Amino acid sequence: MNPLQWLVPWESSFAVIIITVVTAILFIRGSLKCRLLFRQKLCFWIGLLSLYAVSHTQIDYYAEHAFFVHQLQSLVLHHLGPFLIVLSCPKEALLAGFPVAGKRLIRMVSGWKPGHYLVNVLLHPASAVILFVGLIAFWLLPSIHFIAMLDWRIYRLMNWSMVLNGLLFWGLVLNSHSKWSPGSRIGMMLAVIPPQILIGALIFFTPHELYPIYTLCGRAFTGMSSITDQQIGGLILWMNAAMMSVIGILILIHKELRAPKLV
Amino acid sequence: MHDRLFGKRNLKFGRTMRSVALTLALIGCDTERQWQLHDITGHLPDLRFSLMSDAGQPVTDQTYQGYLVMLFFGFTNCQAECPSTLFRLAKIVQGLGDSEKRTRILFVTLDPGRDSPQVLHRYISAFASGHAVGLTGNETGIENLTKRYRAAYRPRQTDTDELSHSAAVYVFDPQGHARFLVTPDDSIVTVVGDLRRLLDSSR
Repeated sequence: MNPLQWLVPWESSFAVIIITVVTAILFIRGSLKCRLLFRQKLCFWIGLLSLYAVSHTQIDYYAEHAFFVHQLQSLVLHHLGPFLIVLSCPKEALLAGFPVAGKRLIRMVSGWKPGHYLVNVLLHPASAVILFVGLIAFWLLPSIHFIAMLDWRIYRLMNWSMVLNGLLFWGLVLNSHSKWSPGSRIGMMLAVIPPQILIGALIFFTPHELYPIYTLCGRAFTGMSSITDQQIGGLILWMNAAMMSVIGILILIHKELRAPKLV
Repeated sequence: MHDRLFGKRNLKFGRTMRSVALTLALIGCDTERQWQLHDITGHLPDLRFSLMSDAGQPVTDQTYQGYLVMLFFGFTNCQAECPSTLFRLAKIVQGLGDSEKRTRILFVTLDPGRDSPQVLHRYISAFASGHAVGLTGNETGIENLTKRYRAAYRPRQTDTDELSHSAAVYVFDPQGHARFLVTPDDSIVTVVGDLRRLLDSSR
């Protein structure tokens, strides 16, 4: 395939286009007003473009037709993309990028009481950990996965829920202005490791086909057996779980050591 | 592109609720599963296509309105799966008895370069003449149909390319709604049982 053809969306979604473009414009406007480090800009753009690439190019075709590519897609949507965006601390730049009317709207929304309660519940360490792991487990339940890969509405719901939950979780644990102590944030990152390893290992060691939908709808790679595909998919979840948390913990420790200490 | 993909987006409330209910049923328990086959009602769009039949005539979904349609994707050069699926489908149609007149097998080729209407006609006739129709068209038409039903398809680039294809047979009721996925593991008796019930309920 010609390299440019890879950029043609497999299934185009206006929501993906609009949200990516609006976020990019806000960030560009904001970065003209705020002074951002090159490192921040790099993290943000890699994060945003990786999210776009896995959900709105020909990669999506392979994610629909190979379990291990689907797992790589989820890795980017739920871990890597949100992780990089959060790491670039884009909040200030994005806020600065908003036009005046937008700022007023944000103030109005952030003053909304029920929203506060919801945010407090969602950002509680216990619920954030349960939601993060629960979402992975939920979408990988064989019967749910079957329908999610078949019904485009549920498929999109799955991908969006992954991105939003990823932003929420990594935003909570990597944010140095958080009301939770560095210790509890490290604890959260550690807590999500064992369940992900368990799910990954369960998939890896299952001797029969857990996700027949890929065979039923056809596999993108003819030479790969369904069990090999499933095992690689399981391994991706198994390994990335520890990897992302360890990277997160190292970054957090590094940030805390550098931060000025209050005597 | 969306409109092309899914035709008129009739996200009827009732249908959405039905898919929600089905999802909930899947989470809870499926002891009360009504059908033996994979029930996909409400999850895939209605049958819609515009292709060329093996008789060389342009055909659309309207041509098969009122028929129970069993749609599947393959190619005549396929070594194992396609012939065995066609053979099984022919047996299933036979098993339906009188209702076979209201049933059509649609075999959509994924290799339009090689599978001309004549080639398709010869191939199909060997299995289930009378009840089966081979469909071909241009690559875009075939890609749109596979995409609509989430079936794998990449146009053949070179002659040596291996083509991948879906293993499922998509069953549409006489109104054109997607109802079941038939897998190669479903026994002929099971499929015949469910299809009879479906045909009886849509009389």
